[in-house]
Amino acid sequence: MSVLARFPSVLMAWRNLGRNRVRTALAALGIVIGVMSIASLGMAGAAINQQATAQLGTIANEVTITPGEDNPDDGVTEEQLAEIEALVTDAAVVEQKTNDTEVSSRGQDVHVSVTGVTEANELYTVSAGEAPPRLQSGALLSNTTAQELGLELGDPVEYDGQLYRLRGLLESENSFGPSGGGELVLPLSALSEQDHYDSVTIITADGGDTAAIADRIDAEFNSYGRNDDVQLSIFTSADIQSGISGFMNTLELALLGIGSISLVVASVAILNVMLMSTVERRGEIGVLRAVGIRRGEVLRMILTEAAFLGTLGGLIGALASLAIGFLMFGTLTGDPMGVLAWPSARYLVYGFAFAVGASVLSGLYPAWKAANESPVEALRG
Amino acid sequence: MSIIELEDVVKRYESGAETVEALKGVDFQANRGEMVTIVGPSGSGKSTMLNMIGLLDSPTEGIVSLDGRNVTDLTEDERTEERRSKLGFVFQSFHLLPMLTAVENVELPSMWDTTVDRHNRAIDLLERVGLGDRLQHTPKQLSGGQQQRVAIARALINEPDILLADEPTGNLDQETGGTILEEMQRLKDEENIAVVSITHDEQLEQFSDRVVRLVDGVVRS
Repeated sequence: MSVLARFPSVLMAWRNLGRNRVRTALAALGIVIGVMSIASLGMAGAAINQQATAQLGTIANEVTITPGEDNPDDGVTEEQLAEIEALVTDAAVVEQKTNDTEVSSRGQDVHVSVTGVTEANELYTVSAGEAPPRLQSGALLSNTTAQELGLELGDPVEYDGQLYRLRGLLESENSFGPSGGGELVLPLSALSEQDHYDSVTIITADGGDTAAIADRIDAEFNSYGRNDDVQLSIFTSADIQSGISGFMNTLELALLGIGSISLVVASVAILNVMLMSTVERRGEIGVLRAVGIRRGEVLRMILTEAAFLGTLGGLIGALASLAIGFLMFGTLTGDPMGVLAWPSARYLVYGFAFAVGASVLSGLYPAWKAANESPVEALRG
Repeated sequence: MSIIELEDVVKRYESGAETVEALKGVDFQANRGEMVTIVGPSGSGKSTMLNMIGLLDSPTEGIVSLDGRNVTDLTEDERTEERRSKLGFVFQSFHLLPMLTAVENVELPSMWDTTVDRHNRAIDLLERVGLGDRLQHTPKQLSGGQQQRVAIARALINEPDILLADEPTGNLDQETGGTILEEMQRLKDEENIAVVSITHDEQLEQFSDRVVRLVDGVVRS
């Protein structure tokens, strides 16, 4: 009492809410549901975003260069390659020639794409054998194609009249790689009749600045006097990433929007509850005003009630959402604790703040109405 | 000098096209230590007159003076301050807040004023009306007579000049009503205040120093 006596509005609000516990609980439940929908949907967005970013991480450090539309040679020339290598000193530059062919074995033909490359280890991971850092002889073949043809390590594969011994089997490509069909990887010398390179891949260390590299190359090759002279087409995974994160942000916003609808509904419920309870207590508020309680004091008392409802509902809602968040992150990313990181935990804070804010806002009209009624009218009941 | 005075007070209510004149030029005054009762049939304007004296409403014409000061044209907020410091109210149906204890109900008018602690005065007042052992009871746990005593203690918490009572015995039986009136008379002398009541109850007239009869918005002495 002695502590609460310092905060009469709090004391009165607390006692008033205690008078009709079922109504208080139901009003708070509306807020709980609202907060849960905001926080859970927000956290779901964060979990999906995190998961998508993690999957993209494997190609996030690559810049791919292909001949541009204004390239006269329809390929990356030796001179251009040398220039690129001079520009990019802090990352691996892997030039490639590509073609396609049929690989035959046991009377079966399988169409595969052919890549000529020296630094095979930079681009490929093998499930058997090796991906040598300097591929001078031999070949690598997609695991799936090898199985289809019954080929094993050490077996010969023919390309352009030459035989290459299989040194490694490639892991199946992830979903962002060249899709469909298998891939045959040969030494660059195997495609020596092609003068120019079809693509150059620049691989930075993890977390390297692919965008800066792409900008440097773009400035060097694509700005000969005119802006649109595209000698080389430059592509970084950052482009996909920004596209995907843009989409993810839209998705998160949309989910939040859906969540907020339920909180809006909840605040309308609070508005209704507060309005009803002030109408019911009309005479009582008239007595308060008659005995000299100021309008501002009545207003504060009722706003405090609304704030209590919001805080109560917001807290319970945030706790329940946290539990849902653990489940969601456990399922989507395999790391339940990820929910505690700010990108998702912030939705708990937002949900709570939104709940308190919406409740106080909903209390504003009933409080104003109750405080400004003439005491004579109010006393009449 | 009278503590409260009405001079030629007129109160008109507009209801649609019709104008109702509830008070038609009423003169009235009450002094400290005096118990005045206003009687009259229903519709005579008693409640309107009490609203004027209690600064719950302002007159259409005429002057209301409180302790020699013209308070006719105060704003609602200024009237609230006057009610808080100079007036105490007792109602027919007690109007205690059900979620507060007896002592909290008594403290209610001063509750938001954190500069003074009226807790001890609240206990003192409840002891003086014979409820020293009911401090922590809620209104539900008290009889009608006890509730009205709590209401009287509440009306006196801010050391007012005037106690206004609207049918204070209206919801009580004859005997309880009598003890409540004795209580009010005793406190009136102890606190040196004016008590102004409106009533139908003839018993109240017996306890009064003066009776004012109101008929059709006009005082008939």
